Amino acid sequence: MQYKDFVKWSRWPTTWCGGCAIGIVFKQVIFSLERMGLAQNELTVVSGIGCSGRAAGYFNVDSVHVTHGRALPVAEGIKRGNPHLKVLVFSGDGDLVGIGGNHLIHTARRNVDLTVICINNQTYGMTGGQMAPTTLKGTKTLTSPHGNRYHPLNIQGLITSNHNYFYARSSAYHINHLQKVIREAFAWPGFAFIEVVAYCIENFGRRLGYRFGYEMLLKIKGIYKINRSPKERLKENELGVLIK
Amino acid sequence: MKQLIMGNEAVARGALRAGLGFFAAYPITPASEIMHYLAEKEGEIEFVHAEDEIASIHMAIGASLAGLKAMTSTSGPGMSLKQEGIGLAQMMEVPLVVVDVQRVGPSTGMPTLPSQGDVLQAKHGSHGDYLALVFYPASVEECYRYTIEAFNAAEESRSPVILLLDGFLAHLSETVDLRRIRFSLKKRSLAPLGTGNRHFTGLLSKEGIPNTDDSQYYRQWYARVKNKMLSVADKYAFYEYWKNPQATTLLIAFGITARVIRPLKDRYAIFRPIRLFPVLAGPLKEIAAPYQRVVVVEMSDGQYAGEVQRVLQREVISLPVLGGEIHLQEIKEALNAI
Repeated sequence: MQYKDFVKWSRWPTTWCGGCAIGIVFKQVIFSLERMGLAQNELTVVSGIGCSGRAAGYFNVDSVHVTHGRALPVAEGIKRGNPHLKVLVFSGDGDLVGIGGNHLIHTARRNVDLTVICINNQTYGMTGGQMAPTTLKGTKTLTSPHGNRYHPLNIQGLITSNHNYFYARSSAYHINHLQKVIREAFAWPGFAFIEVVAYCIENFGRRLGYRFGYEMLLKIKGIYKINRSPKERLKENELGVLIK
Repeated sequence: MKQLIMGNEAVARGALRAGLGFFAAYPITPASEIMHYLAEKEGEIEFVHAEDEIASIHMAIGASLAGLKAMTSTSGPGMSLKQEGIGLAQMMEVPLVVVDVQRVGPSTGMPTLPSQGDVLQAKHGSHGDYLALVFYPASVEECYRYTIEAFNAAEESRSPVILLLDGFLAHLSETVDLRRIRFSLKKRSLAPLGTGNRHFTGLLSKEGIPNTDDSQYYRQWYARVKNKMLSVADKYAFYEYWKNPQATTLLIAFGITARVIRPLKDRYAIFRPIRLFPVLAGPLKEIAAPYQRVVVVEMSDGQYAGEVQRVLQREVISLPVLGGEIHLQEIKEALNAI
């Protein structure tokens, strides 16, 4: 299948805003699917709730869009129900790390053979831009109008606390790196988690003074550097893959 | 061959007989024996001791979508948590069996004395409008039989069917010859994931495409789903009725309460619904007609009595047996006082 065949064009246009990062990531996923040579009946996609959660419906394969935070347990049930299926979970940070946090801890611990793409835009975009567990300290959002009082959750630390793990951090700007990481994650025989540094322009960035999505994209470009052979931990400004 | 079997074990064995392929649950008294029995079968079936109640029902939904007959079990506190998944399975039309072994609530309540206080939770616990199919056995043999029927009804209705038990029934041991029980089995009704480009979603959708701002379509959709549930329910209209031409009062009870009041059948007529929901309106109206009084005896404060009153459109007396204890003598005295 060509990458275009992995898109359910009858669903076009998407619900995502102009300039949103999720579309960029979606495109890297379908490019990766083409390159891996997957057939339609070899893959299923599961999403939770949120802007990223709408992704499942845009893939031209059997897909499931579930309740808020529950993408991982549904995906685990599917994988156990049919171990031959490749199961991709495509969802956001609020869904996977916030309300679905308990499932994240335990699905990772059980090392279920899933590929998880977590769009980390540091906010609850669909509901208007509230603080997420990934929001940086000091950031103003609808539920932290005086600035977020808390430090963000260390997703890397959580995933890599397990006996075996695949943790990758990539970004919506570093698309070649992202594609490579997606292919590696699919090939990993266990729980593979990709945190994609992304952004939300309409309900997050504008409140912080950004005018366009690409300004946020360039900000990511400026901060993050790819580390091709990280030791035990990725630094805060590094992208890379940690496996054990 | 007769064997001494506990209610919970009969549920587990009934599920296996029905073709269970996936089971996930979280430990909770008085339902855990179902889980213990099925844990032994890991390898023959997919078994997960999940991190929580919410995960276990969502795993079951996933496994059902992937092609396996799936079940989860719990008690009241867990049932409250599973309501989110029950709503999702209703909306996505996923076959599934949810067992709720009731104990006294609300919250942790009286761990773990039996109750029948989840009757309305089984009917309407998740938000929004939907029709739930709910069965309630009253013996160990029936635990086996109606678990199988719950799986059949789930396949036919493509919905999460609820099997209610109470702590008494779940822990009741009786000698049963399971091979003697006759039943038919329904095949899988849903093509498994990986066979097309369908989209399952909790959103209101039309042929897999979300259609969330069309009120007219919602009304059509709801009418279709409601008709589907009612027509499947018709095939599972299970009940028991002890007629009593001398009696002026009809007693209605289910589960363990029906077992306890059975000796009263010489003095009263007794109706025992096995399919609790949708309420057996047809038979109930006909059966109740000749009796001056209708009394619902249940281990809740009138949850089912209200449902019966709604169907019969006449006064229905509630006789609650609360606090996890049930004594025939107490019920007799309460009936005399009416």
